[in-house]
Amino acid sequence: MCSGRVDLEFIFRSFAKGQDGVFIGGCKLDECNYTTHGNYDALANTYIAKRLLKHIGINPKRLRTEFMSGADGHLLAEYTDNFSGEIRELGPLGTSEGLSRGELKIKLESARKLIPYLRLVERERLRVPEKTKKAYTSFFESYETKNLFDKIVSDKLAISQILLLLKDKALSTSDIAQNLDLNPSDVSKHMNTSSRQGLIKYDTNSNCYALA
Amino acid sequence: MKNEVLPTETIQEFSKGLVSKNSGNQNFGDVMVVGGGVSGIQASLDLATAGFKVYLIEKGASIGGHMAQLDKTFPTNDCSM
Amino acid sequence: MTFTEVDQVEGEQGDFKIRLKTKPRYIIEEKCTGCSTCTEYCPVQYPDAFNQDISGNKAVHVYFSQAIPLVAYIDESCLYLKDKKCDICRGICKTGAIDFNQTVQKTDINVGAIILSYGIEPFDPGVKDEYGYGRLQNVVTSMDYERLLSSTGPYEGQVRRTSDREHPKKIAWIQCVGSRRVTEGDNSYCSGVCCTYTQKQVILTKDHYQDAECTIFHNDIRSFGKDFERYYQRAEAYDGVRFIRSYASIEKENPENNSVVIRYSTFDDGVKEEEFDMVVLSVGLNPPADSRMLADKFGIELNAHGFNKEIHSNPVKTSKPGVFVSGAFQGPTDIPESVFTASGAGSQCGELLDYRRGNLSRERIYPPETDVSQEEPRIGVFVCHCGANISSVVDVPSTVEYALTLPNVVYAKEQLFSCATNSAQEITELAKEKGLNRVVLGACSPRTLEPLFRDTLREAGLNQYYLDMANIREHCSWVHSKQKEDATKKAQDIIRMSVARAAWLEPLQEFDLPVNKTALVVGGGIGGMTCALSIAAQGHEVQLLEKEKDLGGIARRLDTTIEGMDVQKHLNDLITKVYQNPRIHVSHEATITDVSGYVGSFVTTVETEGQIKKIKHGASVLATGATEYEPEEYLYKENDAVYTHLELGEEIAKKEEKVVNAETLVMIQCVGSRDEKRNYCSRVCCSHAVKNAIKLKKINPDMNIYILFRDMRTYGLREDYYREAADMDVKFIRYEPEEKPQVEAVEEGGRSILRVTLPDPVLGYGLELDADVVSLAAAVIPSETTTKIAGQFKVTLSPDEFFKEAHVKLKPVEFAADGVFLCGTAHYPKHIQETINQAYGAAGRALTLLSHDTVVASGSVCVVNEYDCVSCGACITACTYGAIEFKETPKGKKAWVNPVLCKGDGVCNAKCPTDAIVLKHFTDEEIFGQIDAAVTDEEIRKQMDAAFEDA
Repeated sequence: MCSGRVDLEFIFRSFAKGQDGVFIGGCKLDECNYTTHGNYDALANTYIAKRLLKHIGINPKRLRTEFMSGADGHLLAEYTDNFSGEIRELGPLGTSEGLSRGELKIKLESARKLIPYLRLVERERLRVPEKTKKAYTSFFESYETKNLFDKIVSDKLAISQILLLLKDKALSTSDIAQNLDLNPSDVSKHMNTSSRQGLIKYDTNSNCYALA
Repeated sequence: MKNEVLPTETIQEFSKGLVSKNSGNQNFGDVMVVGGGVSGIQASLDLATAGFKVYLIEKGASIGGHMAQLDKTFPTNDCSM
Repeated sequence: MTFTEVDQVEGEQGDFKIRLKTKPRYIIEEKCTGCSTCTEYCPVQYPDAFNQDISGNKAVHVYFSQAIPLVAYIDESCLYLKDKKCDICRGICKTGAIDFNQTVQKTDINVGAIILSYGIEPFDPGVKDEYGYGRLQNVVTSMDYERLLSSTGPYEGQVRRTSDREHPKKIAWIQCVGSRRVTEGDNSYCSGVCCTYTQKQVILTKDHYQDAECTIFHNDIRSFGKDFERYYQRAEAYDGVRFIRSYASIEKENPENNSVVIRYSTFDDGVKEEEFDMVVLSVGLNPPADSRMLADKFGIELNAHGFNKEIHSNPVKTSKPGVFVSGAFQGPTDIPESVFTASGAGSQCGELLDYRRGNLSRERIYPPETDVSQEEPRIGVFVCHCGANISSVVDVPSTVEYALTLPNVVYAKEQLFSCATNSAQEITELAKEKGLNRVVLGACSPRTLEPLFRDTLREAGLNQYYLDMANIREHCSWVHSKQKEDATKKAQDIIRMSVARAAWLEPLQEFDLPVNKTALVVGGGIGGMTCALSIAAQGHEVQLLEKEKDLGGIARRLDTTIEGMDVQKHLNDLITKVYQNPRIHVSHEATITDVSGYVGSFVTTVETEGQIKKIKHGASVLATGATEYEPEEYLYKENDAVYTHLELGEEIAKKEEKVVNAETLVMIQCVGSRDEKRNYCSRVCCSHAVKNAIKLKKINPDMNIYILFRDMRTYGLREDYYREAADMDVKFIRYEPEEKPQVEAVEEGGRSILRVTLPDPVLGYGLELDADVVSLAAAVIPSETTTKIAGQFKVTLSPDEFFKEAHVKLKPVEFAADGVFLCGTAHYPKHIQETINQAYGAAGRALTLLSHDTVVASGSVCVVNEYDCVSCGACITACTYGAIEFKETPKGKKAWVNPVLCKGDGVCNAKCPTDAIVLKHFTDEEIFGQIDAAVTDEEIRKQMDAAFEDA
């Protein structure tokens, strides 16, 4: 199994199941044991996952990917010590982020719902033509890519969170905005699109939205 | 264990090879390979896989030869293990 | 058989009688498990030979941590062996493996053929005082330096000086120590590997310590191998790395800081002295010290250097029939060559002994597999003490107790050594007795022993994929030796995760694919023909394809090799043998139009002399050769006195007057090689130039011959010819790539001449040579069919568009695509002997496939759930093996995995938007199980409660 097999779902499931940090170790870039160089896929996935973490308010530092060879035991030890130190400083998931248990649950679940979509996005929009570390870094760290990603993800993520929130009970726009720490006008916009798509319905009596 | 294929394969294939070692006339073989460095190991593995009984003779305590002492190998910087 | 040497050899090919002498190890191999507990208790400190005596070890120890066999030995420093003073280890060893009563054992064996793979010994600079080795503390050999760099080395991957254990900042390498020198005690030949291994050490040093200053004193950088040129550039590009072309001598040691002063000279600065913190001697390769004695024992002839005396037409042979050589006993070689000559020697033994193939091997018979897939999981957990390796840190009994509390676990037990034969039997028996249907082993890394335990499961009638290994040694006890409680908890975590995964494991079938016994060889040059003949001699039909009308390839244009082998005679012999061999079928003017199938059963469609042929074959060998670059520079094609080296050789063979009577002849090296367009060295041209020069000098001793070069790369034993040419007054002048020589045609004194001008760094001013003939070392380039054929066979090309082998070191004649092999110059430019070696190597590897009726494909491959597949093709683009394709199904076009081509990396799984493609044995469920079990619910609750109470 290759580090490229490490699915976004693995990462987010780990967080959802209570892990405070996730570390991915892969073979050194350009030293693939297969011919696939799947570790570059792992690198791309890491960038995507970190960005997504940022969107849901989780410190992206909680995810770390390092590449090393089987002979680099000392590096693994060094990275592990260093990473566990960092995570210890950040504390349990949510604490340094100021997220409650309920918020965490909703945010992570909404992110996980997005994963199949992100796989498509990765293929269509986020593929780096050249397999070099430089190309990957400059692509994923460029303003354009970040911007593109944000545009693609933020609406979907917000809607996904809103739907999850409404699963429990019907809420008003302002409740939702407060609950999810979103701009009320954005929430209204999402509510409009979602009702148009028939995902939710508005109850005029209570002024609340509920799942359709 | 390091990231290379050599030792694992060696063991795997040797476990196959050992089968042939135990059979038949005790001290009757097909080929004797003298020297257990990378070349001797490769020759033994190939012959054993191709259906011959091989004696691999090494004067030291372990097979692997000088290559086992190398840190990495050029030009790929792969680990030599 | 370790600790064993050959004592006597009698008989002849087909029937050698050999007496072996085995020295005592004082350890019973079958009982020792390599746990190293004895080493811990041994009171004797002794220099560790594996670490070049830099660090210490004990009298009883395992040679190195990955030694095979992983068995300890007791050396001469042992107090008991000296005067029966101490036998602590005997008391400590739990398996009773220590036996001080062992004596020298003699064994007689009978074999049909012998392969000598004696390898090399590093040159010992201690024999010459001038190198200062042993005298100056901070002078080390490159072999010492390898150990210093290694994470298993004396300072665990830290480079330290012997004198003060500090990290050296300024390090110098001195090249050609013991090589390319005709002085007493040194070797006249080039060792061929030192330039590149030094570059490796420089790169690794810079990786370790960014601010290290590395200086390499050399005389020609010989980056003649595949991808070596780029490697050289990579080393050179680092800040603080200097390559200085100068002889360097070790002057003295600075008494204050034990640093070493080196004296050298450059054209710009003259003679200089410089101080370095550490000096690495790049030592060459010697033949084994006792090679003469060995040669006498086996009755083989050696050359003047002490290597096997080469039979040019077949370097694997010796002067004694039935005795073959492989590896560096042929002469200094690097690892890939050692590997393919080994396969080549194997192939030639196979030719000799084909009649008895398989007679001595026996198939293993396993009990029939019981289908337990419908049963509830019944997991058995075995926790290994690994001697003291695990149990001295992890509390094994409590871990066993813990395992019993886990879901689906019906049985748990501790074992002293799970890998010992009796323990494996115990697992088999208990699995039957307790009705276990899955087994978890809390032991070591699956890299080492998974095959063994899979075997154990098969013995118990279980599918071998019902095994999961929880690595509580490398991942736990070894790294947490000081945190016993935490380590025990971690071991339990790891086992809990394994158990969770095990519950999801599915039985998988490895399938047998039939192997068609025919081989296809593409290319009828020396490589292809040699390979075809060797395969045919082992009883297989061979289809040989040649794109031209005649066999022979580029060798048709070569008269002799530098060593004097008659190439045309050899070629004609080969061609005759090929046509006479009833098993070899040659297709001329052949073009491949289509290739389908996979390992064991390929179908190749060929158009040959107006006919279409469909060839079914099990293995493919690509030997499509190389061709000569047609220069666009130096008036080539414009002036008929400008030749390429190949053409010049042909003219010399014909004794063409214009050439052999020339007054002055200039050769220009690296034409079309080592430049931006072709960033590689064509490897053969330096020797080619030297060969032509010597021949011309022999015909016409008065001829002025100039060879304009960048680095002379007459590596290996060819160095002697370089020296011979220089002694014959052939003039070697170096030029820089920035200031290439200029060639112009001029008329002078009624004679048309070619005027070659170049700046001479030695003289400091421009040099003008009036030549009658100019010869160009035109690059060796891949033949034009290479790219097309690579596409057809789904194999990859290197950046220089030669074929790319599966692994540079370990699989040098194979492609990543199974069942496809390569040899000859299609892989990279090479000399004829090297091609012959590699051709036998490819034949040897092909035989490991063709000699079987079936090949086994792993069960851990991907499969598509058609119902979930949305036909987006994301998996198809992710797969570089071309293992996935669309297939028409009743539900429409769906992705389909060819299990034979799938290598099980699983990259496609992470791309599929609908999770329709699944890598078996690493399914989402299996991994989710593991992820979910990583932290228990209870722990999460506890931690969260604590955290949020605080908040």
